[in-house]
Amino acid sequence: MKRFEYADEKISDKQILVAVPSFVIGIGILSLPQSIASITMASDGWVSLLIGGVITIIITWSVAKLSASFPHQSFINYASTIVTRPIASVLTFLFAIQATSITSLQVRQIADIAKHYLLKETPVEIISLTFLLLIIYAVAGSRIGLFRLNTMFLPFVLIVAAIVIVFNINWFDLAFLSPTFETSFSGYIEGVKNSVLSYAGFTILWFYITIVKEPKQTPKMAVLGMCIPVVLYIFLYLTCILVFGNSVTSNLQYPTIELAKILEIPGGILERFESLFFVIWIMAIFNTTAMTFDIAVLALHSIFANVGKMKVIFIIGPIAYVIGMYPQDLVQVSIFGSFIGYSSVLYTVFVTLLLFVIAKIRRVK
Amino acid sequence: MVKIRTNSFVNRKRTKEKENPNLTKLVKNLEKNLKNIKTLLEEPNDLVIRKFNVRGSKHWCATVYIDGLADGKYVRDHIIDNLQLETEGKQIPDDKQQLFDELNKNFLSSSSLQIGYTLDDVSNGILNGSTVIYLDGIDKVFIIKTQGWEKRDIKEPVTESLIRGPRDGFVEDLRTNMVLMRRYIHDPNLRFKTYQIGRRSKKSLVVAYIADVIHPDILKEITRRLESIDTDDAPESGFIEQWIEDNYLSPFPQIMNTERPDKASAALLQGKVVIILDGSPFVLIAPSTLGSAMQSPEDYYERWTIGTLLRILRYLGAFIAIFLPSLYIALVAFHPGMIPTNLAFSIAASREGVPFTPLIEALLMAVTMELLREAGARLPKTIGQTIGIVGGLVIGDAAVQAGIVSPIMVIVVALNAIASFALPAYSLAIAFRIILFGFIFLAGTFGLYGIIIGYIMVNIHIVNLKSIGVPYTTPFAPTFFKDWEDLIFRKPVPQLTKRPEYMETKDKQAVDKENR
Repeated sequence: MKRFEYADEKISDKQILVAVPSFVIGIGILSLPQSIASITMASDGWVSLLIGGVITIIITWSVAKLSASFPHQSFINYASTIVTRPIASVLTFLFAIQATSITSLQVRQIADIAKHYLLKETPVEIISLTFLLLIIYAVAGSRIGLFRLNTMFLPFVLIVAAIVIVFNINWFDLAFLSPTFETSFSGYIEGVKNSVLSYAGFTILWFYITIVKEPKQTPKMAVLGMCIPVVLYIFLYLTCILVFGNSVTSNLQYPTIELAKILEIPGGILERFESLFFVIWIMAIFNTTAMTFDIAVLALHSIFANVGKMKVIFIIGPIAYVIGMYPQDLVQVSIFGSFIGYSSVLYTVFVTLLLFVIAKIRRVK
Repeated sequence: MVKIRTNSFVNRKRTKEKENPNLTKLVKNLEKNLKNIKTLLEEPNDLVIRKFNVRGSKHWCATVYIDGLADGKYVRDHIIDNLQLETEGKQIPDDKQQLFDELNKNFLSSSSLQIGYTLDDVSNGILNGSTVIYLDGIDKVFIIKTQGWEKRDIKEPVTESLIRGPRDGFVEDLRTNMVLMRRYIHDPNLRFKTYQIGRRSKKSLVVAYIADVIHPDILKEITRRLESIDTDDAPESGFIEQWIEDNYLSPFPQIMNTERPDKASAALLQGKVVIILDGSPFVLIAPSTLGSAMQSPEDYYERWTIGTLLRILRYLGAFIAIFLPSLYIALVAFHPGMIPTNLAFSIAASREGVPFTPLIEALLMAVTMELLREAGARLPKTIGQTIGIVGGLVIGDAAVQAGIVSPIMVIVVALNAIASFALPAYSLAIAFRIILFGFIFLAGTFGLYGIIIGYIMVNIHIVNLKSIGVPYTTPFAPTFFKDWEDLIFRKPVPQLTKRPEYMETKDKQAVDKENR
């Protein structure tokens, strides 16, 4: 007789399929159309988004393949078998630092946007603190709980994104699409770089594949999961261009939220849909941040195994808060953001290559 | 499978440690035995002791029972009569042991007969309504079931009425409730496992399940938790619920209760356990999930379109019951721009002259609503109507006329209260009303942002909550798409062929189309 396995601390392939898009979809897409539109002509940005997506999917696949070939082993364990234990510890520690800084960035950014669209008079410090406390509450619960939250929130997020696209069809102006393929090569490359940054969600694969029950199908599921944000981002981007045109999009701070602003709900039961859109989007950002924080905890916990989980949480929490509050204005936040973005993508690529190559050289199975 | 707390939230002080003075063996002398039982119970005047000779012999015997608990007529007709009359003209053995066996075999015409050896057996038997028969010179007794106390008739359940469905409900008597269960499920695999609960007052508790349906781990876990119960007395099944639930800090009920045998039997067929406590008309259903708490038996009795619509309506009701006042506060106080212009004007006009912020206004009305509900529930039915009228005036007209609250606030609170009463499970509705207050405060401080933070918090809580090891949010997450056909949407009954997948029942098929 089977035990109640689904209630255990193990996840299935399908939960990875849900976790990847939940992790990727977050704050990035809110401003992504702006950064893409400002470096490409007319609607050409979708090419960058597509190429960036394909690159991301390849990285996702290789990370998933690598960690799935060591089933039920934590990152630090299989990294230790490939490159010795001290190096593995350093790699894990860097992951922890990276995850902590992403957490603090998210906590800061969500507070900035919430202040802009929802709470004009509440200080940023308070908004971020409530959000961080929420994250801590989530991470203090069971890890499997985070995956269940992904399953419960992702549908809302996808539905509200679909609403934004569908109800804006009235405003589409096909003239904004042309001229096509006028962008210079360097513009495309720049766009690809930006899109890869916003797709970056491989970190969770390093750590979460270890708790997958049967990781055989996991790389496939991770790739499928990665396809969801790629498709969604391209659609949202094209909607932005079709509604605002390239020049307006490149001058809006959060074009995706602005899309929600002009949308009219039939029946007129609610105005200014962007507030509601952002409120729902907080669920997406919550999922991203909670998993990031959890990875920071998981990484530190795997190095210092005898320190309790709650202690680790209460060490990381204040640090993340202080880092998040450090940038003085939006410019500094965005500099901080792009620095973290670059470093995390480069670091992932570096670790993947390192482990792959050394595993091949030392023939670790 | 499951971790369980070991200490109770409120540590009850026990009056004394368990000691077993009554395990004293019975003695051979009749007088001494009778004296012992009299001293133990301190000779209450409802203790009936009748001493007589077994007819045709010099052997003394005695019947002991409590008047009212035991059926006096039954004792006279079937016990005393037999010993005094039936024995006439028959060979009565002189040897005491032989007589005892002879009585056991040939003379006592009762269907249920046990033999007791200790004073404890005797006192428990008597207090359960049995009759004890002593025989002089023998250190054993007969304990014969003669229960015959007054019982309430089977009536329609007060707390859960349906338009269509069986009209019978559980009563306080354990045996009647077991009979009801047996009448609903004619299955030889229906099992009843009996426990004694309570140190002082030993109450019978029965765990009902269907042996070849239930997952053995659930049964094992329930058994383990029931055995951990250590209490003086369990007057109501709510005590049992609070002893065995997974998380005592949660506002959500992790074990459902029902007065309806049809609901209980449906739960049994889904692989769940039903716990019946003697003295309580509410039986417990465990494990239970959020999805199952939102269902009513009537969803199945009416056709699937009606059932599905009712369930959608109920989820809408749950949404209104939790969120409506807080959404109103958030919109009016923080995001007036989100309200359509015309409505915003009329709200502003209606709020003119109201001295309080929307938060205070909502709190005032919500607390009044709770008071009315509580007063209405406690008062006798005849006065209850007065409360309805007074409440209607206070909450509706007078408050508005006096300019304390705005009319729209009245609509919001009234709609909210109606929605929470539309939920089938009272315990869940109460949980929602507790959460409601949290949301009102969050919306009053952070607006929509506060509401979403609260919503995420509640979600974090319920994904970590379990009911006897089954995650509370099953089958939403962990997702069992197969079970969604009987969750919010309900497929037509002939197509509901499988038992819930999340219960991992031994027998998966409820209906087997091929082998029918």
